[in-house]
Amino acid sequence: MLGSGAKAAKPSFVSYISPEEIHIKEPIEKEVNPRLLPGELLLCEANTVYKYIQEDGSNRGTYGKLVCTNFKIAFLDEDSASDDNEPQFKNKIVGENDITLQCVDQIYGVYDEKKKLLTGQLRKYPEKLIIYCKDLRVFHFCLRYTKEEEVKRIVSGIVHHSQTPKLLKRLFLFSYASAAPNNTDGRNQTVMFDTLEDWRDELERTKGNVKYKAVVTNEGYRVSEKLPLYFVVPICVSEESILKFQGRGIPIWCWSCHNGAALLKMSAFPKEQDDSTSQMQKAFLDGIYKTISKPPYELLKTDDLSSSLPSLQDIQTAYTRFKQLFLIDNSTDFWATDVKWFSLLESTNWLEIIRRFLKKAIEVAECLERQHTNVLLIEESATDLCCVISSLVQVMMDSYSRTKSGFQSLIQKEWVTGGHGFLDRCNHLHKTDKEEAPVFLLLLNCVWQLVQQYPPAFEFTETYLTVLSDSLYVPIFSTFFFNSQHQKDTNTTGESLKIQSGPFKFLTVWDWSVQFEPKAQALLSNPLYAEKPKPDKSQRKTTRFKHQRQLSLPLTQTKSSPKRGFFREETDHLIKNLLGKRIGKFINSSDEPHNSFREFYDSWHSKPVDYHGLLLPCIDGPEIKVWAQRYLRWIPEAQLHGGGTIATAAKILDLMEEVQSLQVKMDEEHSQAISRDVQAVPMLRNSARLSSLFPFALHQRQSIKPALPTSTWKDLEDEDDLVKRDDEFVDLTGDML
Amino acid sequence: MSGAAFRRVPGERVLAEAAAVRHRGGGGGGSVRGTLYCTNLRVAFVPALGAQAPSSRTFLHSEYDVALPCIRKLVAASSFAKPKVLTAASSLKFVPEELAVHCRDFRVLRFLFHESGLQPQAFRVATAIAQAREAAAWPGDAETALEDDDDDEEDEDEDEEEEEEEEGPTLLFESLRDWEKELKRQGAAGWRVSAVNERFDMATSLPKYLWVPSRLLDKDLKRAFAHFEERRVPRLCWHHPGGSDLLRAAGFHGASDPQREDVRCLEALMLAGHGQCVLVEAAAELPSLAELQLAHLKLRALCLPDSPVADDKWLSALEATRWLEHVRACVRKASEVVSLLAGRRCSVVLQESDDRDLNCLLASLAQLLADPHARTLPGFQSLVQREWVAAGHPFGRRLGLGRPSPRDEAPVFLLFLDCTWQLVRQFPACFGFTESYLLALHDSSFVPYFSTFLFNCQWQQGRTGQHRASGQTYTPVSGWREPVAVAGGGRGGAPSRWPPTVWDWRLRYSRQQRARFRNPAGPRGGSAPVGPTAPQPGGGGGSAAGAGAVWVLAKGALWPQPQPFPWRSKRLPRWVPSLESLGEPEPEPERGPGSSPLPAPPPRGPLLPCAAGPAIRLWRRCYLRAVPEGQRGRFAPSPAGLAEELRLLQERLRAWRPAAPRGPEEPAR
Repeated sequence: MLGSGAKAAKPSFVSYISPEEIHIKEPIEKEVNPRLLPGELLLCEANTVYKYIQEDGSNRGTYGKLVCTNFKIAFLDEDSASDDNEPQFKNKIVGENDITLQCVDQIYGVYDEKKKLLTGQLRKYPEKLIIYCKDLRVFHFCLRYTKEEEVKRIVSGIVHHSQTPKLLKRLFLFSYASAAPNNTDGRNQTVMFDTLEDWRDELERTKGNVKYKAVVTNEGYRVSEKLPLYFVVPICVSEESILKFQGRGIPIWCWSCHNGAALLKMSAFPKEQDDSTSQMQKAFLDGIYKTISKPPYELLKTDDLSSSLPSLQDIQTAYTRFKQLFLIDNSTDFWATDVKWFSLLESTNWLEIIRRFLKKAIEVAECLERQHTNVLLIEESATDLCCVISSLVQVMMDSYSRTKSGFQSLIQKEWVTGGHGFLDRCNHLHKTDKEEAPVFLLLLNCVWQLVQQYPPAFEFTETYLTVLSDSLYVPIFSTFFFNSQHQKDTNTTGESLKIQSGPFKFLTVWDWSVQFEPKAQALLSNPLYAEKPKPDKSQRKTTRFKHQRQLSLPLTQTKSSPKRGFFREETDHLIKNLLGKRIGKFINSSDEPHNSFREFYDSWHSKPVDYHGLLLPCIDGPEIKVWAQRYLRWIPEAQLHGGGTIATAAKILDLMEEVQSLQVKMDEEHSQAISRDVQAVPMLRNSARLSSLFPFALHQRQSIKPALPTSTWKDLEDEDDLVKRDDEFVDLTGDML
Repeated sequence: MSGAAFRRVPGERVLAEAAAVRHRGGGGGGSVRGTLYCTNLRVAFVPALGAQAPSSRTFLHSEYDVALPCIRKLVAASSFAKPKVLTAASSLKFVPEELAVHCRDFRVLRFLFHESGLQPQAFRVATAIAQAREAAAWPGDAETALEDDDDDEEDEDEDEEEEEEEEGPTLLFESLRDWEKELKRQGAAGWRVSAVNERFDMATSLPKYLWVPSRLLDKDLKRAFAHFEERRVPRLCWHHPGGSDLLRAAGFHGASDPQREDVRCLEALMLAGHGQCVLVEAAAELPSLAELQLAHLKLRALCLPDSPVADDKWLSALEATRWLEHVRACVRKASEVVSLLAGRRCSVVLQESDDRDLNCLLASLAQLLADPHARTLPGFQSLVQREWVAAGHPFGRRLGLGRPSPRDEAPVFLLFLDCTWQLVRQFPACFGFTESYLLALHDSSFVPYFSTFLFNCQWQQGRTGQHRASGQTYTPVSGWREPVAVAGGGRGGAPSRWPPTVWDWRLRYSRQQRARFRNPAGPRGGSAPVGPTAPQPGGGGGSAAGAGAVWVLAKGALWPQPQPFPWRSKRLPRWVPSLESLGEPEPEPERGPGSSPLPAPPPRGPLLPCAAGPAIRLWRRCYLRAVPEGQRGRFAPSPAGLAEELRLLQERLRAWRPAAPRGPEEPAR
């Protein structure tokens, strides 16, 4: 394969390997075949592709085959054929060297040392291919030793399948679903919110069923294709008014606080040119406000998120800049950004956006918790920023949302069924770049801040969040591949292009066993989760416990009630006399909110934390941090061998295990019951050998050099001694680790 | 009225007090009622009985306590007048409603008076603090303040009968025995303890005992002193089990005129029997003391609760302090030194012009990285004692606790603690001590009761001690007895010790607090010996003596140094590798190509920390203490708590087994 005309390597950094050596290293052509999923088709392949191991900045790498299927781009080398080097934390669907087509962010070709973005048609084929992934991996493939026609085929194949617009039906999701009939129920404990019962149960759980009802008005999508089949509105809202403007202007229930105050969302009317239409809409809105501001409903506070929060465009811009800090070609780049790390970080504005969303969520929580006010979030479609804020509020206020199943149900409720346009926001189909915005990622980033500030309050770990964020790009799950419930329904039952036209049964991402073995799943649960005391013993006690913090603010309660009365009168007055004015604006415009926010925030933070009660994030400058696990995991320069939190996590797991086994023993002695064997987590045993990037580090066999750059010893040795010396050097550290 | 709970240090006098003062936790949150005292040593606040138990609230009981020299600024405020910075000279013209004490250790204590209705008291206390601060007794130079004995009995909890530290004692390096013991532990064959400086007549700032190559006789050694700044000759810090040696020395004395024989001694001292010697200029790439002090001041300003920096500009403001940059530089340089030591057999000489600041930092950081023993609690204490206290780091001047010369102030030791914290954070399972411990040490360095941080070198300490001993014998009261237990009996027959060392943690921290010093997730087995060290030809062999290659570490790379000494004299032989040593390929035959890379790899490799931007963090529990949200509610159930639960469960199980009742009691969680 290696053409006789193989030019001498002429890379940008010092090469320790001459082409001759490469020749020696070349594997005996062993047929390695990609493992294909059901429904996966091999589209094109190229042999003798050289994949650089990015870590050490040298030209080290491995030879193998680069393939492109309708699901992924995969690099196969002899290592991947043998299963000896099974990584400890392995994704069963997406391997270490696999990139799903949806995970590809950008592809660059290198022509004579110059990088060019590859999109669409190609005239010239590059000698090197750089693939940046949405999960922040970076792959470098050298095509210099590959046959020319194979290069053409693979490059245009990859670019075509990953970067050009696609039809929804051509998503791998459908091929997979038709080829692999899904027999798993997939429900586990996650509430999917696709039935009326799910909504009714949720109403009952939050005690919202007195004032709110689940409606079936949208059956057959009579109201709107953007709304879910079933949703919850205030009892006083009539069916006609729901139908009148396709669900716009209707407050839709998200969640009820323990004190009865509810979080609502509403999609606003688009800006109307026509005067009479806008007049009509205004009148309609005022009617709605009037009905839901009357007792038994609480005072209403509206918040137009599109004016009080950064726009989708801002979010997208900030994230694009932010991720550039982590998509690194080589270590030279890394050290170049390293010098100005903090100011670069700040200039991306990403952390500031996280802070603003957290702050907004605290403000909403303050209204609900302390002012007993209903909060109505308003947004053009109520499916983007509304989802972030309402989910954050629930994570902060409802300890159920901090369990794994509770969090998953929340995502189902607010995002999947709620109609967040995953397809457009993630740009899975490459239809247009304009709609793209990492809204869901923003939520995960915000939740991560909470997780790292209050780890015991969450049943899941940051690894869970990282894995969840990766699952956004795995097109075998339906969860993140539709824009709405309507789109999913019509495409599930509708006329299929495939032979089998029966309804598809899609997998849901919440079935973690599809991606991970049980022992890998153990890393998704927090061993130090402060579990809530079982509620079956005395219901009353637990509820009181839950609201402890709220009750411990006697001052605010006594103060706020007269104020409420005053406000109520004032609002009524306004409604009577100032029809046409937005009430929400009036209430909002008072200078009171900011001060009360600060007071609320400070008084909460001056008390000990109740992990099952309200949880407010710290949002001061130093407290908002970079989600290191997600963003730094592929950067070897940031790796610590034998370090990082994982080092103690192993010890903690050991301790937990021992505690558990002792408890089991005690139970045993009690009841003479047969011992249940305690689930051990054998994976972390050898924690000294793990690195801080576990479980995500590239499971490279080579070890990292010590901090002293090789150039140090370069001066000591003769030139020809260099390669050997360098090897030795690496070996040496390998032994020491 | 006088607080029953207020315990005084011997020699401490209460100058003024105010009852019914509120100590505000900050942020509009809860406040604690109690009594505020001003003594000749400190400002102390004693919470009233029935107030929140301090131990349950915060970790450090020193939260309410601040030594006078530790006060940086005193601000009195009232609703009628502008806030006023109080000094002894300025007179307070209004009755303060609030008194804010800004401390050097990043705390801000706020005391509210307005509720008490005892305004004269508020006025008196504020003025008293301002004046006492100016006249603060400095135990190092003015022991009179401590001498008038109080018959006020200390009722130290006697249940604190300390079980002897199981991991071995902290070596103070004041006696020959300590030096010999440590040398043996390191397995440094080819080195010996020299008592040449026992009377401090060679160099006053050096310790009494020095580690020097065995082959070098004391009379030869004496030749070397004159050629180094402050007469601080190269001496061993640490012996790598692989054979390399870490040395430290001051800069060459430019004006000296060495004889041919002197040069031979210098070579022997610096090469220490190795074929190669690497000179590491400590100051290169590291901040100067002035830069360090500036960064620290900026950091302090940034971390004040009312810092004017907006949240969205915080990161760049943090970057602008350059403090983290300095931390990174130190961590990076130390790991370079360590990989030099581990990489090949050579001697690495840390060289700094006066060998008393950055050398201390680099030498101890390098040992933290490379020596597992230094990462245990007693090992770390011994390390600080050896590389800082005994080596003559001028604590008194650098911490700025003494009244004169603020321009000598530079937080070198605090920088070291920060670097250590970074390592603890990066490798939580490799350290026997915790962040809490580092925090306690950080705070203690501002408390002028401890001999550890009072003196500039052993010689000064010795002189002060003698003076004391000749004056009046101090009868210890029960709480402050001499901490022989901590010193491990290393100094048999030493006179009673006053002031005590900082390592006697019982003096300031309760048993529960001390329990949090130890890391249960840390390395098991505590002080594992550094492993079997094959006798190396390094020190004893002497085959390559007198000639060797000298390199200089600069900008992360090694450069050959044909002329290691600055003296340009024709009489000197040119320092070039001799022909013989050039002929030999490498003075490390075991590592020939093809054979196994290392003859005996060290039992555990060095830690290789990451000094990249994202990996170096702000030590928020230390620097953001004045910001209440930064502190509160952040102590998650620690591994320590879990270990405690485990112990409880086991106990229960044991107690329960013999009785074996049928009670349906569940194990407590």
